[in-house]
Amino acid sequence: MLHLLKVDLKKLLDYRTFWIIVGLYFFTLCMGAASGMEFLKWLARTIEGFGQSINITRIPLYHFPDIWQNLAWSGGLLKMGLAIMTVISITNEFTYRTVRQNIIDGLSREQFLISKVMTNFVLAALSMVMVLLIATVTGLIYSPQLDFPYGLTGLEFYPAYFLEVFAFLSFALMLGIFIQRSGLTIILLLNSYLIELIIKENIDQYVPNLIQFFPLESIMNLVPMPFARYAFQEIRDYVTIESVMIALAWAFLFNYFAYLKLKKSDI
Amino acid sequence: METVLTTHELTKNFGRLCAVNQLNLEVKRGQVFGMLGPNGSGKTTTLGMLMGVTNPTAGNFTWFGEPPTHHLRKKIGAVLEHPIFYPYLSGQKNLELMALIKEAPAANIPKVLDLVELTPRRNDKYRTYSLGMKQRLAIASALLNDPVVLILDEPTNGLDPMGIAEIREIIKRIANDGKTIILASHLLDEVQKVCTHFAILRKGNMVYTGPVDDVGKGEETVELMAFHDDLPIILEAFPGAAAVRKEGGHYVVKMKEGFHSLELNRYLFEKGIVASHLVTQKKSLEKQFLEILAEADHAALAKG
Repeated sequence: MLHLLKVDLKKLLDYRTFWIIVGLYFFTLCMGAASGMEFLKWLARTIEGFGQSINITRIPLYHFPDIWQNLAWSGGLLKMGLAIMTVISITNEFTYRTVRQNIIDGLSREQFLISKVMTNFVLAALSMVMVLLIATVTGLIYSPQLDFPYGLTGLEFYPAYFLEVFAFLSFALMLGIFIQRSGLTIILLLNSYLIELIIKENIDQYVPNLIQFFPLESIMNLVPMPFARYAFQEIRDYVTIESVMIALAWAFLFNYFAYLKLKKSDI
Repeated sequence: METVLTTHELTKNFGRLCAVNQLNLEVKRGQVFGMLGPNGSGKTTTLGMLMGVTNPTAGNFTWFGEPPTHHLRKKIGAVLEHPIFYPYLSGQKNLELMALIKEAPAANIPKVLDLVELTPRRNDKYRTYSLGMKQRLAIASALLNDPVVLILDEPTNGLDPMGIAEIREIIKRIANDGKTIILASHLLDEVQKVCTHFAILRKGNMVYTGPVDDVGKGEETVELMAFHDDLPIILEAFPGAAAVRKEGGHYVVKMKEGFHSLELNRYLFEKGIVASHLVTQKKSLEKQFLEILAEADHAALAKG
């Protein structure tokens, strides 16, 4: 397994596009977190302009433990950046026909796929560590007092965040293997949310229980949107077992479909 | 002699097109086996199946008497169609990656780079290489794991004459090491120069297989010129001449079986004629190839 990871990393670590995309992704993560406070200040000024006032220090956006879910959810918005890297990495293999050469050289088809899945795994883990780190640092800066273990509630969103990114990267990898063209794959990837939304909205009234089983819905469902709580609405501030099971099943299926496609096609 | 490769009724259909039809091949250790055939005759498809990238529709094959696995492929060096590498990696990095995949010792990299004379350019990106250099890197990569079998598909495709000569030289050097080589080509001359055995494919069917040495057996043709006014008459009077015709500035004498240029030369000398030009033409692979293809065409027509 580790050997296969080394094979795929060897392809990527000397690839400038890889560093640019992954670098931009992590840079955006940091900037996104850093700019949240500025956004709150802007919001306060605008509201003041309407003659109202809010006290932004009363909104515990960056306080422990709120920050865990807030950042895990916000970080999830940017996973498309990593997914684009996954798409480029797999579609390159088809454009350059190097997947053919890899197999001729002695990788089996499943090994080739595993090498890509391993990279997805590492990227998702890195992303999780990065968001966890940003959350810890920002939390330490803004939290008025440290209150443990209460401040640690919500840390379970990080494994869930990892699964969210990994499942989405698996989806991107599968699309790449089926479509084999980078541009087309990225367009379909961006549109997949809209396609799913249209289907969901149209069947919602008939079979509402089915909604949570939709692939992208199940991925988004792992870490629910937390900000409504600042408008005094009820939110789900824990990870549910069902959401994890459904997302895990999809992550498995995406990779399994990719495997079936690779297995039966002439390369 | 140990059998390296056996195919049994190997078949590949692309939709309704039958690219390879019930192919039975046998390649033994130490052979340089040429696969001949016009473009689209199924050579590349066959090699693709042997290397695990094309799934056979029916039939099977064995390497070294064992069913094929990806571990076996690591001991086979292959250059299929066009060289395939990561364009953004240097030649060196590309080989490092392949060594990782093939589980070959990294110490082999400088050796194979030297062999194909790419050492000075090893740190340049692959996309900056000329076609000849790309082809040479492909051969280097095929030799990386000290393979027992080498598969080459049109290795001189698109190269300039110097490049062709270089690649041929490398193939001969490798063959002299006792490695088994399977070479697909539509260049007959190439196969005749480097191969010991060959097979001819036509529309996915194997129409001939045998040793290259067998080619050229049979009647000789002698190309000849001498300054004598009655030369054509004298030539036709030669008992070993089956036919005489003028071609360009020469006379071409088709000999009867058992007669050689030696007898013709002696005959002329006895008549007081000294030839200024005398060449024995063996039947070339090209001629035989065309004959076999024509026969196969004929048979196909008769059948269907």
